[in-house]
Amino acid sequence: MFKRGKGAALLAALTAGSLALSACGGGDDTSGSAGKELRLWHYEGPTSAMGVAWKQAIQEFESTHPGVKVKFEEKGFEQIQKTAPMVLNSKDAPDVMEYNKGNATAGLLSKQGLLTDMTSEVTKRGWDKLLGPSVQTTAKYDAKGVMGGDKWFGVPNYAEYLMVYYNKDLFDENDVKVPTTFAEFTAAMDAFVKKGITPLGNGGAEYMAQQYLYQLALTKADRAWVDGFERYTSKVDFHDAAWTYGATTFADWVKKGYIAKNSVGVKAEDAGAAFISGKVPMLFSGSWWYGRFASDIKAFEWDTFLWPETKLTLGSSGNLWVVPQGSKNKRLAYDFIDITMKKGIQNTLANNGGVPVAADEAVVNSPKNKQLIQNFGTLVGTDALAFYPDWPVAGFYDTFVAQTQKLINGSAPPDRVLGDLQKAYDSGLPK
Amino acid sequence: MSATAAQSPIKPRVRTRRRRDPSSHMVLVALIVLAAVMLLPFVIVVFNALKTPQEYGANGALAPPEGFYLQGLKDFWERVDFGRKLLNSIIISGSVAVLAVILSVLNAYALGIGRIKGRLWILVLLLMANTLPQEALVYPLYYLSKQLGIYDTRLSVIIVFAVIQSAFGTYLLSSVLGAFPRPLLEAARMDGASKWQVLWRIIVPVTRPTLSVLLVFFFIWTWNEFLIPLVFLISNDNQTVSVALGVLHGQRLMDATMSSASALLGILPTLIFFLIFQRTLTRGLTAGSIK
Repeated sequence: MFKRGKGAALLAALTAGSLALSACGGGDDTSGSAGKELRLWHYEGPTSAMGVAWKQAIQEFESTHPGVKVKFEEKGFEQIQKTAPMVLNSKDAPDVMEYNKGNATAGLLSKQGLLTDMTSEVTKRGWDKLLGPSVQTTAKYDAKGVMGGDKWFGVPNYAEYLMVYYNKDLFDENDVKVPTTFAEFTAAMDAFVKKGITPLGNGGAEYMAQQYLYQLALTKADRAWVDGFERYTSKVDFHDAAWTYGATTFADWVKKGYIAKNSVGVKAEDAGAAFISGKVPMLFSGSWWYGRFASDIKAFEWDTFLWPETKLTLGSSGNLWVVPQGSKNKRLAYDFIDITMKKGIQNTLANNGGVPVAADEAVVNSPKNKQLIQNFGTLVGTDALAFYPDWPVAGFYDTFVAQTQKLINGSAPPDRVLGDLQKAYDSGLPK
Repeated sequence: MSATAAQSPIKPRVRTRRRRDPSSHMVLVALIVLAAVMLLPFVIVVFNALKTPQEYGANGALAPPEGFYLQGLKDFWERVDFGRKLLNSIIISGSVAVLAVILSVLNAYALGIGRIKGRLWILVLLLMANTLPQEALVYPLYYLSKQLGIYDTRLSVIIVFAVIQSAFGTYLLSSVLGAFPRPLLEAARMDGASKWQVLWRIIVPVTRPTLSVLLVFFFIWTWNEFLIPLVFLISNDNQTVSVALGVLHGQRLMDATMSSASALLGILPTLIFFLIFQRTLTRGLTAGSIK
């Protein structure tokens, strides 16, 4: 056995060496960063609206806080998703970071005590005045980590919502009128089907299909229904009028050819790329595409409209700024968040195709970006943001993908699909 | 992978020269088809890496690029400070490869030559350790490294992978050494060689080809590791190439052209490494035989 002993000795030696190394590193870190450095993490691409706006925020922060350096690190979405609980529980936690909103993410971390309760800061600095009620929901959590609670654990400085992107050239070529009512919407789709064009883009392998279904259900729903489903305020019946309408209409649309049967295995990225290539008349998806469509679509004219005749649509606040409990510079972190909430950064967001929460419409340069913000204003004004269908229980996203795929394939009737959704929802509810 | 595929058609060609067997032509054709199939994804990656995002949007993923657009590669390099990631990956993979081979040789000496008691069980244990999914290891290792104060250091990853890789190396080398020609060892002992001398003067030189193969494999495997570096290397300054590639996959959007560019940059080093050590690899396969 003496060789194994050798191995162990080697390991022990390595560990001892590393201890000495990291001890130096750690010592350096704490003395150097106190009040002198703001460690910031986010995972937005440098050319996205958020990436551009936040970069400007960093510059502004450094000029208003002389002597303080922002140490920004761009992270991958997956890395943050997988490692946030571990990172925040270590001494290497950043001072302020972007994190996903929702019960399974920010809610969970707040329950574990890894995030700072910012309630007093939010009211003191007036951030709550800038955010509409349905935008606030995802920033506040209760003791169980359920959204819509009473304590602020994050602050969103942008928002997102779903809209119908449409290809103007295809509408003109085929003599189809841009719909303003639901009847006109289906009539437009019928017109495209008659010409042999599938009217709606879809990615059945990812979030898109469930968002169609949820939107259809939302046309027959109200705020109490959404709260019951998303915040567990009442018992959810998947065989109620709204869900039944959503599932049967979705299945019906596939049958009528509004949604292609072969979209069942398509990824969201490919559905978006199909719209960019000019083959798809309409795509119902989120504002996260806006900047990309604006920069990548050169061959045709496009525009957007909100889903016709609905009181509710999908959308929510954007991701949150959170301040980890282990942050060494909370004051600086709040100062940074404050800058991102100010008009200057909000306007930059708006001008780059983002959806700001508090921008000055007057300074938005392009009519398209202006419309994006006006539409959001309409939605917030009517309290219309109804979040996303996969949020309530863990693993619901995959269930939804599988069930909507069944509807597209026609391998299960809507009734059975709703039954399966009910089962997954009930068994996943937090106790 | 593509290197082996490209390499293999050579053999049948040599044989056809000797006797023109129709079946060997079939094999050749089959191998060419196989090589083409294996190279196809690589070709698509190269295509997309050289396209502008607009071209990608307009023509789709499979169309060849209209020109050489190197901005994607350049942007990615600068965005993630790729030179630094490359250095990190080389440091980590290199140290792991060397450490794991040393560990494996020492272990296998005890198991294969020393024939210690219970070696079968030790091998079974090592094999089981090999089949453990890394997801199961992540949390315990995280707590351990936090306790030791080496969380978010390259050293933590080096230690973890040196041990993981040496588990496989021990398993493989033990069986190689188990079949080691005994007369050689006995002759050495007769000449008065100590255990250490037997190991360093006899066994290591004779098995060097096998050890080089292990070295190359450990290097490439460690290079491609994703989950553990993702969890352990928190600071961007410590990250490896494979973790850096993940930066491009956003929450809902991915930048296909830049992802391809980054993938190209990500596999090039392993490919180069593989080509350099290709001869070592083919030689290593015949290492079992006595010279």
